[in-house]
Amino acid sequence: MTFVLRMAWRETRASWARLLFFFLCVALGVGSIVVLRSLVENVRVTLVGEARQLVGADIVVRSRQVLDSDARARLDETLSAVGYLARTEMVETQTMVVSADGRGTGATRLVEIRAVAPGFPFYGTIELDDGRPWAQGLLAGRGMFVTRALLVELGLTVGDAVRLGGETFRIAGVVSRDRVQRDGFAFGPRVYVALDDLRETPLLGFGGRATSTIMLQVAPEAVEETAEVLRGAISRDLALVRSWRSVEDRLGRNLTIAENHLSLVGFAVLVLGGIGVWSVTRIVVQQKIRSIAILKCLGATSRQVLSTYLLQMLVLAAAGSAIGLGLAAIAMLFVPSSLLEPLGVSRVGLTLSAAVQGTLVGLLVALLFSLVPLVEVRRVKPLLLLRADTAQTARRRDRYSVGATVVVVAALVAVAMWQAGSWRTGLYVSAGLVAVGWALTLAGRTLVRAVRPLARSRHFPLRHAVVSLGRPGNQTNVILLAVGLGCCFVLGVRAIQSNLLDEFAMQVGGEAPDLVLIDIQSDQVEGVAAAAAPHVSRPPVIVPLIRGRVTGAEGRQVRLPTREHLRREGHLLREYGMTARGALADNEQLLRGEFWTGPLTTPTTPEGFDTEVSIEQDVATEVGLEPGDVMRFEIAGRRLSARVTSVRQVVWGESQSGGFVFVLRPGPAVERLPQTHIGFVELARDQPDAQGLLQRALVASFPNVSVVDVGDVLRSIRAILDNVTLAVTLVGAVTLVGGVLILVGAVALTKFQRLYEAAIYRTLGASTRLLAAMVAIEYTVLGALAGTLGAAGAMGLSWAMSRHVFEIPWSPTPGLLAGGVIITALAVSVVGLISSLDVLVRKPLATLRRE
Amino acid sequence: MIELVDVSRTVTSGAGPLTILHPTSFTIARGTAVAITGPSGSGKSTLLGLLAGLDAPTTGRIRLDGTDITGLGEEQLARLRGRLVGIVFQFFHLLPSLTAFENVLVPLEIAGARDPARRARALLDDVGLTGRSDHYPSQLSGGEQQRVAIARALANDPPILLADEPTGNLDTATGRHVIDLLVAINRDRGRTLVLVTHDPALAVLADEVIGLRDGRVVERRVSAPAVEARA
Repeated sequence: MTFVLRMAWRETRASWARLLFFFLCVALGVGSIVVLRSLVENVRVTLVGEARQLVGADIVVRSRQVLDSDARARLDETLSAVGYLARTEMVETQTMVVSADGRGTGATRLVEIRAVAPGFPFYGTIELDDGRPWAQGLLAGRGMFVTRALLVELGLTVGDAVRLGGETFRIAGVVSRDRVQRDGFAFGPRVYVALDDLRETPLLGFGGRATSTIMLQVAPEAVEETAEVLRGAISRDLALVRSWRSVEDRLGRNLTIAENHLSLVGFAVLVLGGIGVWSVTRIVVQQKIRSIAILKCLGATSRQVLSTYLLQMLVLAAAGSAIGLGLAAIAMLFVPSSLLEPLGVSRVGLTLSAAVQGTLVGLLVALLFSLVPLVEVRRVKPLLLLRADTAQTARRRDRYSVGATVVVVAALVAVAMWQAGSWRTGLYVSAGLVAVGWALTLAGRTLVRAVRPLARSRHFPLRHAVVSLGRPGNQTNVILLAVGLGCCFVLGVRAIQSNLLDEFAMQVGGEAPDLVLIDIQSDQVEGVAAAAAPHVSRPPVIVPLIRGRVTGAEGRQVRLPTREHLRREGHLLREYGMTARGALADNEQLLRGEFWTGPLTTPTTPEGFDTEVSIEQDVATEVGLEPGDVMRFEIAGRRLSARVTSVRQVVWGESQSGGFVFVLRPGPAVERLPQTHIGFVELARDQPDAQGLLQRALVASFPNVSVVDVGDVLRSIRAILDNVTLAVTLVGAVTLVGGVLILVGAVALTKFQRLYEAAIYRTLGASTRLLAAMVAIEYTVLGALAGTLGAAGAMGLSWAMSRHVFEIPWSPTPGLLAGGVIITALAVSVVGLISSLDVLVRKPLATLRRE
Repeated sequence: MIELVDVSRTVTSGAGPLTILHPTSFTIARGTAVAITGPSGSGKSTLLGLLAGLDAPTTGRIRLDGTDITGLGEEQLARLRGRLVGIVFQFFHLLPSLTAFENVLVPLEIAGARDPARRARALLDDVGLTGRSDHYPSQLSGGEQQRVAIARALANDPPILLADEPTGNLDTATGRHVIDLLVAINRDRGRTLVLVTHDPALAVLADEVIGLRDGRVVERRVSAPAVEARA
């Protein structure tokens, strides 16, 4: 054992500098895993520990609609039967606010209103910026709490009056920290008012868009039991019941999934490093064959020699992991606080479990990847010291190396499963990695073969460069794989972003409306159209909006008579916004069946259904619905049956008046449904402040109508997109850095051979300039190949993502990809030249003597 | 004692089986110095490789100090070499990443010897390299490297010392020193020495000479000085 330890130490001492490059790749992987896991764990500690404060109650019963009195009575009855200690309520909706007396900037702003009843919240705190504790009393007399941002935007101060829902409210305070029930997407800044005050406005009209949440406090030991009873008693379509513990569980589960999936990204980077380790170990074994033979001659067994080199790799892997931890710690310092602030996480740091996991995975991956080449140690025959011709042992696969390969692959898959926290995901990721590696290797070989005719070029450096790609012990495949993959990530993400932005630009610039007006009541349609008329370039399109759920679908191919059946199949579960109109819209095309030519004039269809419905083709295909089939809907507690009469194609991108999955035929039954209207407005181009004028006009006459600025929404989507792009680009950049490290390491590793060759070229009359040209061209060719590989991969990636994930048209972004290839070629050439400086300046005699 | 009984070695080459050593039998008594001579390709190194257990004979049996090594596996052979055989090569074959001292230390550590450092230092003293122990092979001259190799071969005090053209890569004077060292070890410490050389001047220093040609023993004689010494 002492021999193995000492020998490993001596070998490491002699070669660590050359091998460290490869373990820096391990470091990058370990660093990625540790950073990603730590981030999620930081979030977890903050969120999960405070689930009750975040929920604000022991149990919440949340309904995504304003309930009619029947449904309310039933709910109240169930609640009283179950029993609770205390109860409060909040209702959330959106509307516009504007200064009541023309003060401030005069701007109107869409806000998220939270109207709360006394007692809110049972747990958690809402902090006011003047230090006063939260008290319901402060909202008395039409008081309103707002955010600092809203005050600035409106140019108002505390004490000023605003119009909201047609009533005047007084700004009573500014909320500085609010972490109660902060899930979901917000349309605008949040404001607090008293629930009783909001009820006096027309905003909570039947069928309007509002979420109502009943919050309960129950005895601590009864939380789960009560929640369970409520879940059994309240239909899921009416309201969702959640306890703070179930929220905590769900949050915990989601975070675990997030953590595991994110750490797979790190794992992928690490596997790339592992490939570097594999390739370097192979070369080390080749270079050490004589040393291994000597050790065997001196009485060392294969096991001792194998242990020696395995231990050496472990030491280096440990060093790599330690460096990775250091990198991770540094990276954590640069995590922008804006990223995690919305989640309530103020300070981030490395977590112990992330560090331990990252290090373990790093060690394992390095060990596994070095094992297969190291098994070759067994085959080295000491006889080669006497007879050099026995050095090249036949490269047949014996049972040990096959066994080792099987063990290593199985172990890597197991590590992937462990990191993913799911055997299925782990398996998919492993299969994906193998497929990508395979594809890149194959493509690399094809490319190398494709440029082989250049080896007959008259240009000596070019000829040399092409021949070098296939030199013994070359790192061509590994470099192509590593640099190509990094390049593919970076270019792919850029290409996807560019495609997405093109799509948005088209929508913003061309067909999309400027403003969307929501919550227009039926009796306001004409008024709103008239109020908007002076500020628009063409009359606004105002269509009914009916919010409902599908409760059944039956026909020749489908038999889903109840909501439970739909749930089991996972079809049509969300709430749909439907409309009713007499004709197809401009962005629609009839595919099958017949579209009605006007409203239904009879109480029912000839078959006895309430009305007819036209379905969008993707949904029709997904469920298997065809003209002639029957659908059932529930709209705010009312049932509606409809016969499918047509299937439409909708071009979502060219929507000027929205796009609807379900379009109902107008008629007596549809008219009776609770509904609002939605308006699409194109502003007059010749009025500089058309939007402001229109908003003020609407707020004055129709306070319940909300105005959504499409540009605003697109801007916020773009901001989110930018963040995502940045994050993915960073991962790509890490991979690219890994690729460059592998490149530098490969150059360093083959340096002795290069030194020798350069010396011989010099004795044959080659100048430093010629040698530099040879190196530069060799690496430019290599870089160009890697870049081409990456660009091709990026094209595939962006095509697949555009078509199948984002469902937008795809364009190949040739400029971006060509730029990527050129930059990669130049970068690889520069890195290659810098790493080869030593080879270029060394005097030939010194090298030849040493040989 | 080294015993060979009908030992032959045949390899498969492109042109079919090629016998590089025809069936050969001889015995080398403990403590004697034997020179194996012959021109290039006569099978000298093959014979030495077989004696060292680096290669397995196609037929016949080899016994080293009473142990039949013919049927042993690679790992057993490695252990046996560590105990019984020291080898000195024409190209020295020192481990380039280790110092002279560490090169001598390695076989001691492999064998798990007690106080290996002291023994390694003593061995380097014996070959006259006291001041060079911390040098790497690349910092030593050819003669110095070969002396380190001899010290290394002696590390575990093996009864048998095998040398393959030990002076082949050295100038005449340095070569002479190395041979003197080997012969002294044979005489003073009673180690069996098998010396492969094509230099007749070296061969005469041995007790016996085994001449090979085309894989056959063509000559076996006791050299004059040995006869004199024994007389």
